[in-house]
Amino acid sequence: MTEEINELIKNEYEAGFVTDVESETLPPGLNEDVIRFISSKKNEPEWLLEWRLKAFHVWKEMDEPTWAHVQYPEINFQDVSYYSAPKSMDDRPKSLDEVDPELLKTYEKLGIPLHEQAALAGVAVDVVFDSVSVVTTFREKLKEAGVIFMPISEAVHEHPDLVKKYLGSVVPQKDNYYAALNCAVFSDGSFVYIPKGVRCPMELSTYFRINEQSTGQFERTLIIAEEGSHVSYLEGCTAPMRDENQLHAAVVELVALDNAEIKYSTVQNWYPGDAEGKGGIYNFVTKRGVCHTNAKISWTQVETGSAVTWKYPSCILKGDNSVGEFYSVALTNNFQQADTGTKMIHLGKNTKSTIITKGISAGKSQNAYRGLVRMNPGAEGARNYTQCDSLLIGDKCGAHTFPYIESKHPSAVIEHEATTSKVSDDQLFLCQQRGIDVEKAVSMIVNGFCKEVFKELPMEFAVEAGKLLEVSLEGSVG
Amino acid sequence: MTEASTQTLDYASQALSLAQSVEGPEWLSGLRKDGQQSFEGHAWPTRKTEHWKYTNLSALNKQNYAQLVANDSVALTDSEAQQLYLIADLDAVQLVFVNGHFSETLSSEIDLDSVEVVRFSQADEDQRSVISDNLGQITLNEEHIFSALNAGQLDDGVLIRFLKNKKTETAIQVVHLTTAQSQSFSVNARLLVVSEAGSQGVVVESFVSDDASQTAIVNSITECRIDDNSKLFHYRLQLEQEDAIHIGGMHVQLNAGSQLESFHVGLGGKVKRVDVVVNHEGSGAHCDLKGVYLPKNSQHIDYHTCIEHKVPHCTTSEVFRGIIANQAKAVFNGRIHIHPDAQKTLAELNNRNLLLSNKAEINTKPELEIYADDVRCAHGATIAQLDDNAMNYMLSRGIGRQEAEVMMSFGFINELLNGLAHHPIQEKLRPILADLFGKDDSLTRHLL
Amino acid sequence: MLSIKNLQAKVEEKDIIKGLNLNIKPGEVHAIMGPNGAGKSTLGNVLSGREGYEVTGGSVEFLGKDLLDFEPEERAREGLFLAFQYPVEIPGVSNLEFLKASVDAVREHRGQDPLDSVSFLKLAREKCKAVNLDQNFLKRGVNEGFSGGEKKRNEIMQMMLLEPSLCILDETDSGLDIDALQVVADGVNSQRSVDRSFIVVTHYQRLLDYIVPDYVHVLANGRIVKSGGKELALELEEKGYSWIDEEVV
Repeated sequence: MTEEINELIKNEYEAGFVTDVESETLPPGLNEDVIRFISSKKNEPEWLLEWRLKAFHVWKEMDEPTWAHVQYPEINFQDVSYYSAPKSMDDRPKSLDEVDPELLKTYEKLGIPLHEQAALAGVAVDVVFDSVSVVTTFREKLKEAGVIFMPISEAVHEHPDLVKKYLGSVVPQKDNYYAALNCAVFSDGSFVYIPKGVRCPMELSTYFRINEQSTGQFERTLIIAEEGSHVSYLEGCTAPMRDENQLHAAVVELVALDNAEIKYSTVQNWYPGDAEGKGGIYNFVTKRGVCHTNAKISWTQVETGSAVTWKYPSCILKGDNSVGEFYSVALTNNFQQADTGTKMIHLGKNTKSTIITKGISAGKSQNAYRGLVRMNPGAEGARNYTQCDSLLIGDKCGAHTFPYIESKHPSAVIEHEATTSKVSDDQLFLCQQRGIDVEKAVSMIVNGFCKEVFKELPMEFAVEAGKLLEVSLEGSVG
Repeated sequence: MTEASTQTLDYASQALSLAQSVEGPEWLSGLRKDGQQSFEGHAWPTRKTEHWKYTNLSALNKQNYAQLVANDSVALTDSEAQQLYLIADLDAVQLVFVNGHFSETLSSEIDLDSVEVVRFSQADEDQRSVISDNLGQITLNEEHIFSALNAGQLDDGVLIRFLKNKKTETAIQVVHLTTAQSQSFSVNARLLVVSEAGSQGVVVESFVSDDASQTAIVNSITECRIDDNSKLFHYRLQLEQEDAIHIGGMHVQLNAGSQLESFHVGLGGKVKRVDVVVNHEGSGAHCDLKGVYLPKNSQHIDYHTCIEHKVPHCTTSEVFRGIIANQAKAVFNGRIHIHPDAQKTLAELNNRNLLLSNKAEINTKPELEIYADDVRCAHGATIAQLDDNAMNYMLSRGIGRQEAEVMMSFGFINELLNGLAHHPIQEKLRPILADLFGKDDSLTRHLL
Repeated sequence: MLSIKNLQAKVEEKDIIKGLNLNIKPGEVHAIMGPNGAGKSTLGNVLSGREGYEVTGGSVEFLGKDLLDFEPEERAREGLFLAFQYPVEIPGVSNLEFLKASVDAVREHRGQDPLDSVSFLKLAREKCKAVNLDQNFLKRGVNEGFSGGEKKRNEIMQMMLLEPSLCILDETDSGLDIDALQVVADGVNSQRSVDRSFIVVTHYQRLLDYIVPDYVHVLANGRIVKSGGKELALELEEKGYSWIDEEVV
């Protein structure tokens, strides 16, 4: 049976094409001049340049973390190019008509039409291509509701007070090695501001694409939900198939003020490398949100891409009664390695968190859940429930669970459970006996295994995620 | 104050120089040298050392240590000492060490034909070869800094050898009694258990102390080789009081079809850390591991367990529970590691904790590391307060809140005690634990 | 319908079926009885093509085709249905989606159009009712958390949906109380027809009070050692199995 499974999991990566656009790309290397170049390219105010330089000095003093259950050759940070932008972006296009048609075609090929009339109804998209934001749709419509949705490079100019107040407020510069690097060299990303009491009228979405060779992507996303507001945000990512490894080190900061709610969903499909483990994205991402009183942040992620994933979307439950959620499906195949999970830091009273993770390992991959649940001395009546399930397909892969559980309050309740299972021969036989072939059976079983998480995704993404899983599993079954 | 005690000396260098001055049997000197060398190669654990993340060893650094204190500075009478460790109604013989010295008067004459019990220093040729063949093979110096140190300071130890195809009903009890001294001192304890094929035996390790104010640091390493189809019952009772410092480990090799039933109880101390490592080396082996930890006041206790499933068709059932009171801190790290060949493994770990106060702290980390697909593994960990519904029910039956709390806390631990194969050990532990939950007899009268 | 000639099969290198012959015509109900370990369940597993059950000799013809040539799912699509003794749980996969996938596959094989969701749901609900299963069972995971009786009724419901030509009921009576047994038997009886055959594998005669067979065979040591009418079952009930051995010897 295992052989058949392996046959079925052979990977085909559909987003692996390269777009031929003329780009302005910095030569590889990192020093103060590079940072000054990026800053001046974006006409940044002095304070931001200073902020970047400070981060750079912090970064130089730090060591790369080695505690994750992943192995990869040492990265030479001087071999990476820290800025690349399509030439056509020199003067930012005023409207879609001015956007390079090659770029528009790229996104159509990826299933993300950018013309507003053709776009997914009710989803506004910000598109980041290598280091710059290409276009943001539905800006006018959102403006009517008072919602700000624009590239962060523009927000620096148009809403400097907001950016200055919140940038680095959730993930400080010295937080970790990759976050510090991002602070120094971040190029673009999305900025979202939802005013008090506003329910964002449409889903917001950012689509990230790495195109240029030897280029790292360092985007930065900042979402601020004012008191009583509500927003749902989606993020997708792809990259061409290349033999070299490419670096992606993003930072996402969420601020949910009193009674606000942010739902953040990710379908991560960076190029995972080929069946021999060659190439693929190194995905080192810091995502964190802070919840004020009665606020709620919900992270949902479907991770099928990247050669190496190092990612722990987290919640700081600062205000009383605040809620944090983390729903994750992480699928690894071939030689992929994932070390992913979450941190729930309970500071306020009656704070609640839920963690549901589904790890699926196939091929020769390694898939680890790493999570921290911490109840601080003020977390009276706080609750956490964690369920981590692993599914193994084949006998060459690994599935691991490393939960850190810390409590300093007697009335806090924490429940953690983890199980591991395989796609059993009995299950496959039952399906076969009812006329369902092995491939369909495995896909049904895997989808069933992930159901709890998929139901948290917005509709359009849930469909995409299910399909993605099927594609990623192709050739893995037996 | 003497000049020496005003300095803060680091423990690592003291321990090494103590090791270099150890006088023990010549035939063990190779092991000692290896241990010293390995110890020198280890970095001293800090908060950044993953396995020592939650346990701070700085308390060790504040003392000046002597190797051993003289035996005559023991203020206990023999019967007072026996009171501390004897287990009523248990068929047992004792080997007793007081402050690291073997006590002829407290120890039993052992004359059993199914088991050999001997101190390393008294071992005959045959026994020496058993010791040389096994010591340091089950715990690896390079993986455990305190195993390396223990080997480096090796002056004596105990061999228990359950003979092939023989069943020993009599429990072999190895006792380490430490007494309060004016000076800090270290005790190096080593136990080797060899259960030969088809044998069955019972080992009880008791660690006790005379008084709350302890000055000893005990480093106690136990290795067990459990051969094909043999069975070992093992109890490690760490009942030393308040200020004790204890670092120790129990390392087991389970061969084909063998069984281990191991129970651990740990009262807290200034610093207590015990590593329990079980290696499944032969198919069909079963490990049943249970433990309770009960720190109070400002104590600290840390159990690190690691179950290595290296071969197919083995099973593990592991349950640890803790109650943490006052400002105490507990650490539990339970790792289950399934190697690529260990198909058809069944392994389960359950860890439950109760915090009794606002200042108490628990850090627990159940870990699964799995490299084989046809296995069933699960772990669960909970941290909770006492169940509200049960509390209300008790209150509605007229039981006072405080008493209900004691009953429920005790019940939480008692569930594990009830499963022990040797009833006299249950009976010995119950009053000690009851005493821990409430000094007031009226609160614990139902528990005994 | 089914013609088994000198069938031999082994499991984990052990010979279990040792030259079994059996002929079943359309519409017939055959009961196979025998002591524990006789190979009763093995027969069902071998016929449905379960992995690990190796056919070492003989032939099986099913509706004019060589059954042993087919993969398990192909056998199912050809109209062979096995009601499991221990139906497995598939967490997270809902009964409904599981059933739809199964019915679609069988219908496609027969050259029928797939049912649209609405008519399928209607049909599934109907069948649920027929075996006295609450409709909520359709939403729950396949057999997940079902009681023993519910699992068996779920099996019979699947049989009704798939409309097979040959049904093998593997110890369907095990773990059922009288009421549940009645429901299951009613379900089976409602499916009896001139072109559908049954093999009822059981250790006890009691199931045969409810599902009355045309023939009874005694399976012992991998072979059919005695065949007869339904009265043979009563004889077995009365005398146990030991006399069979003696008689055969």
